[in-house]
Amino acid sequence: MSHPDLTPLAPRRQITANLARRDSMGPAYHVLTFDVPEGVDARPGQFTMVRGAEWGDAPLLPRPMSYLSGGRRPSILIKVVGDGTTRMARAVPGEPFHLLGPLGNTWPEVTEGKRPVLVAGGVGVAPLLYLARSLAPHGVRPIALYGGRSERDLPMHEELAEVCDLHVTTEDGSRGERGRVTQLLPDLLSGDVEVFTCGPDRMMAAVAALCAPREVRCIASLETPMACGYGVCLGCPVKRAEGGYLYACMDGPCIDAASIDWGDGAAAGGAA
Amino acid sequence: MNQEVTLGGLTLKNPVLTASGTFGYGLEYDSFFDVAELGGICTKGLSLAPRHGNPPERICETPAGMLNAIGLANVGVEYFCEHKLPTLRERGVTVVANIFASSVEDFVKITERLERSPGVAAIELNVSCPNVSQGGIEFGRDPALCAQVTAACKAVTQLPIWVKMSPEAGDIVAVAKACEEAGADAVTAINTIRGMSIDPSTGRVRLANRTGGLSGPALRPIALRIVWDLVGALRIPVIGIGGVFSAEDALQFLLAGASAVQVGTASFSDPTAASKVRQGIAAYCAAHQLTVSELIGRGRPDSRR
Ligand SMILES: Cc1cc2nc3c(=O)[nH]c(=O)nc-3n(C[C@H](O)[C@H](O)[C@H](O)COP(=O)(O)OP(=O)(O)OC[C@H]3O[C@@H](n4cnc5c(N)ncnc54)[C@H](O)[C@@H]3O)c2cc1C
Ligand SMILES: Cc1cc2nc3c(=O)[nH]c(=O)nc-3n(C[C@H](O)[C@H](O)[C@H](O)COP(=O)(O)O)c2cc1C
Ligand code: FES
Repeated sequence: MSHPDLTPLAPRRQITANLARRDSMGPAYHVLTFDVPEGVDARPGQFTMVRGAEWGDAPLLPRPMSYLSGGRRPSILIKVVGDGTTRMARAVPGEPFHLLGPLGNTWPEVTEGKRPVLVAGGVGVAPLLYLARSLAPHGVRPIALYGGRSERDLPMHEELAEVCDLHVTTEDGSRGERGRVTQLLPDLLSGDVEVFTCGPDRMMAAVAALCAPREVRCIASLETPMACGYGVCLGCPVKRAEGGYLYACMDGPCIDAASIDWGDGAAAGGAA
Repeated sequence: MNQEVTLGGLTLKNPVLTASGTFGYGLEYDSFFDVAELGGICTKGLSLAPRHGNPPERICETPAGMLNAIGLANVGVEYFCEHKLPTLRERGVTVVANIFASSVEDFVKITERLERSPGVAAIELNVSCPNVSQGGIEFGRDPALCAQVTAACKAVTQLPIWVKMSPEAGDIVAVAKACEEAGADAVTAINTIRGMSIDPSTGRVRLANRTGGLSGPALRPIALRIVWDLVGALRIPVIGIGGVFSAEDALQFLLAGASAVQVGTASFSDPTAASKVRQGIAAYCAAHQLTVSELIGRGRPDSRR
């Protein structure tokens, strides 16, 4: 029913694109929109490796970022956590960036008869908002659960509300229900639903743990540190339930949560 | 100007190769540029049986470099020969198989498997991986053991054998000389140097393996010094590796006397890095009216070239 686009994924390419605009939502969250006249066939769930063309040796490696949109004005939503994202947060229109993509797989098709439930934590909202927007033209309106530490950590919640039935939680109670986003989930899991989640590992591990016993399919988009983004550095392993590793950049980033060994909640590394 | 370089019996189209572990099995770069334009590629380290590698986190960025503790995850030599090599050969890619084992016996078995697979141009012995508990760096520290591995592999193949040096091999010149005497056709230098990183915000060591190999520009001056020393001490060719990100970086190694260079971590920053290094060297040669072989060692005071 959804994910209309079953044509083969576009080959990965590195392009140099100028920043068209930066929309900042406070100091921590920024949407970067690029000018790509020829367009990028980037689908919801896919990501791009981003590096300022003038960064020199620092930061050295490009940073993986989910597409918030594709086409001729592809965009990303960044949260400032370190050097790379700080540089991005200061970027000005016209500044050149290397964009390598599209990389990774897409969110899988929503199963016929199931309603998608999107569970987002902080900046994990980006690939989920892109998903919700792509479902809207097909008449699918997901339920979205969106959590953050405070109301300042809910970038783009208004945009999410346009295309989803949105429920918000904050740990300090400054918006929506006080507590964690996972507390809203159990009630929903009795219905004919399917879960799509992106956020801190501990949140996704908790979501996966709620879905598994109820046999609800749960797809998690993993944000492990990456050096290459296309399967050569082997730096992005995720523990596989049956042993061995999956690689977030090639097997994912969208992976069935049941195939992952979430361990103590830090299976995919990264910040929680 | 002529870009060819000769390493013992092997002639490469140009002096630019890609470093093991940073270029997969080569085909991953297909959509970025024609890999066959390079002097060659070194495969991810191949072992006798496939290996899963270390748990996460395996990588983290450090000033002008990165640490990795991949733990030599790879598909195994059999799978490589069956499924990767034929395509590489069809594309005309010059393939250097980088291999790794924890015993002399297994080094020999892998070499024998490669010997009967058409499409391999040379074998690079990794006796210097810092990220595995067995068969890594301790091999690379011991001149006698390195010589033994080299001789044993030489005995079962016609292919050129390159030995990859560990910068942590106490007396690296002694190790390299032992390999030369044992019949090595070239040495490649250097592999990564072990480093660490701790995240103050969590108080935790960043890599699960605790230590990881440092690569990237941070390594370059150390690598250049080692290459310089090796070139001065050996008769066999030396291949320079360590933080080559641009043609200027590569030229430093060539001027120091390296017969070729390998581009590693740079491919992560820019997947077309190796191609750009190749083009940059060609442009430099054209501007200075020099062939690459005339360039090699030109930075040495003893150079009459
Ligand atoms: C497929 C994928 C999609 C992603 N999508 C987005 C996105 O849409 N928006 C966004 O803001 N971020 C996203 N990330 C995370 C983003 O890549 C990192 O936050 C970024 O690389 C940090 O770079 P930095 O230089 O600012 O921080 P660094 O200086 O590299 O690190 C600062 C701190 O952040 C932690 N960190 C580093 N990498 C990650 C990571 N991958 N995940 C979590 N914490 C990390 C480090 O451990 C360190 O404590 C995504 C990651 C992946 C793998
Ligand atoms: C992620 C990664 C994986 C590596 N894997 C191997 C390997 O399997 N075998 C090997 O001999 N060297 C391996 N190396 C070392 C590189 O081949 C090279 O010697 C080193 O990175 C220094 O070069 P650079 O600074 O250009 O990266 C690896 C390096 C990195 C960064
Ligand atoms: S990021 Fe390099 S293999 Fe996944």
